[in-house]
Amino acid sequence: MGSQLERIKTAVIAGKHTEIEEFVREALSKDFDPNRIINDALIAAMDEVGRRFADQRIYVPEMLVSAMTMKKGLEILKPLLKGEKTSDRGVVVMATVKGDLHDIGKNLVCMMLEGAGFRVVDLGVDIGVEDLIRKVEEIGPHVLGLSALLTTTMPEMARVIEALRERGLRGRVKVMVGGAPVDLAFAERIGADGYGKDASEAVQLARDFVALK
Amino acid sequence: MDLKPDFERIRKTARHEEPDRVPLCEALIEYPIQSQFLGRQVKADDLKSQMEFWAKAGYDYIPITVGMMTPGRVTQESAISRVIRDVMLKDSPDADDEKAWNLEYTSFINNRKDFEEFPWEVAGQLDFSKFYEVESLLPEGMKVIAVSGKIFTLTWMLMGFNNFALSLIVDEQLVADVFRKVAQIQFEALEKIFSMPYIGAVWVVDDLAFGSGPMISPQAFRDHVFPWYREMAKRCHENGLLFFLHSDGDLSLLMEDLIDLGVDVLHPIDPTCMDIFQIKEKYGDRLCLVGNVSNELLRSGSPKEIEATVKDLLRKVAPGGGYCMGSGNSVPEWAKFENYMAMRNTTLKYGSYPITL
Repeated sequence: MGSQLERIKTAVIAGKHTEIEEFVREALSKDFDPNRIINDALIAAMDEVGRRFADQRIYVPEMLVSAMTMKKGLEILKPLLKGEKTSDRGVVVMATVKGDLHDIGKNLVCMMLEGAGFRVVDLGVDIGVEDLIRKVEEIGPHVLGLSALLTTTMPEMARVIEALRERGLRGRVKVMVGGAPVDLAFAERIGADGYGKDASEAVQLARDFVALK
Repeated sequence: MDLKPDFERIRKTARHEEPDRVPLCEALIEYPIQSQFLGRQVKADDLKSQMEFWAKAGYDYIPITVGMMTPGRVTQESAISRVIRDVMLKDSPDADDEKAWNLEYTSFINNRKDFEEFPWEVAGQLDFSKFYEVESLLPEGMKVIAVSGKIFTLTWMLMGFNNFALSLIVDEQLVADVFRKVAQIQFEALEKIFSMPYIGAVWVVDDLAFGSGPMISPQAFRDHVFPWYREMAKRCHENGLLFFLHSDGDLSLLMEDLIDLGVDVLHPIDPTCMDIFQIKEKYGDRLCLVGNVSNELLRSGSPKEIEATVKDLLRKVAPGGGYCMGSGNSVPEWAKFENYMAMRNTTLKYGSYPITL
């Protein structure tokens, strides 16, 4: 029985996007629980993909194809979950801060978070404090992820955290920060809840934050 | 300290010989820094003042861009921006909206049809006027370094990174075709400048890596990017020019490939993720290194800290040649001017061979 799930997991890791739908349908036809397929095959596969990426055994293209493969499988399974408790692990709002147009790293984090079962609202790049605050109020995410690639835009992260505090929102959302020039010391200095050095660490942080809620 | 420009200084350094002093070397120094140095405003269209800056500041060349992108980023002046605004968005009401034309916000080649319809011919019409204008301005001994376009970066920017990365696996031929078109435009431009006797080197400015390592697998670079750079290095060497490569990020996994394909000079040995002392030890006899003075330090440090960093580099990396002093990326307008001056002045003061620090 486990080989069905193993086959799906392997297909996601290898990025077999043309075959995944067939594999998932086959598992369903053998009465596998959709939640089990999601958790034990699709999400487990993306965890492994994250590890391989962190170890430089694979690179962004391979990771993206795995994510696409995972999504194709998920599309089949999601409608079957209707009426059940939502499969979302939590909600994460992601953004690159004001003045910064870099989004490759942020996009990878978004993709890995989705792969781990989170609902991700990606606000994009060059997002100002006011827009971020409005979205946090509107969506009420568990986690806010801020990205910056430039040393000159890093201070924006501190401004966002300060603004959350001023509006009385700081206790309602965990803030994680990342990006090439960011480090743990900076994250602690500005009062962030966590720092992820890569997409895998960001996913782990989000998991920890949601588990704490 | 001799400030007279002499491109032979860089040639000797690249051959791992010791010239009279360690050369100063940057791919880009933004105009506000040049302006402060000269005490008057230097603008993009004022080549005479730019030349004065590079010569007086102690450089042996002036960098001039020949490509679809200016080094560092896409601007309104980049050739590719004009192609997109004047041709692709000609009838669009969004033509003046930066988010519609700037490749840092958007992309244009999402599929085969987009590729076929892209105005490649117009994109290939590059402006060489600065290359002609510069000839009469060059002081004796000074050369031009042609800063060539970004084959890798422009390809992924035209396609959007996610689409590019995905296509690399699911539609590899499309990616190969975009690479080919972008590279062909660069090659045609280079063939034109090879005939100009005052060109000393070609400097490819193309980011290949993140701080964590290569942006795509080393094998994908070997399949799609490095063959173009190998050919470019070959054409440079046939014409007696040095071949420089700039890439941010951690290049450790690509070092052997870069040496093998013919890179003479590597810049900037990104100080945020690479250890120049280890790189010197491992590859220093096969590659000339440039830069490594942290941009963060240029922004937030003190002249004293800069002096200590520069002295350390002179002491450990410069002996025997094979090293030019410079920033860990470029000298942006947000660098403190006194820190830029500290980097320059310390090099000029303590960088005479033999290094006695």
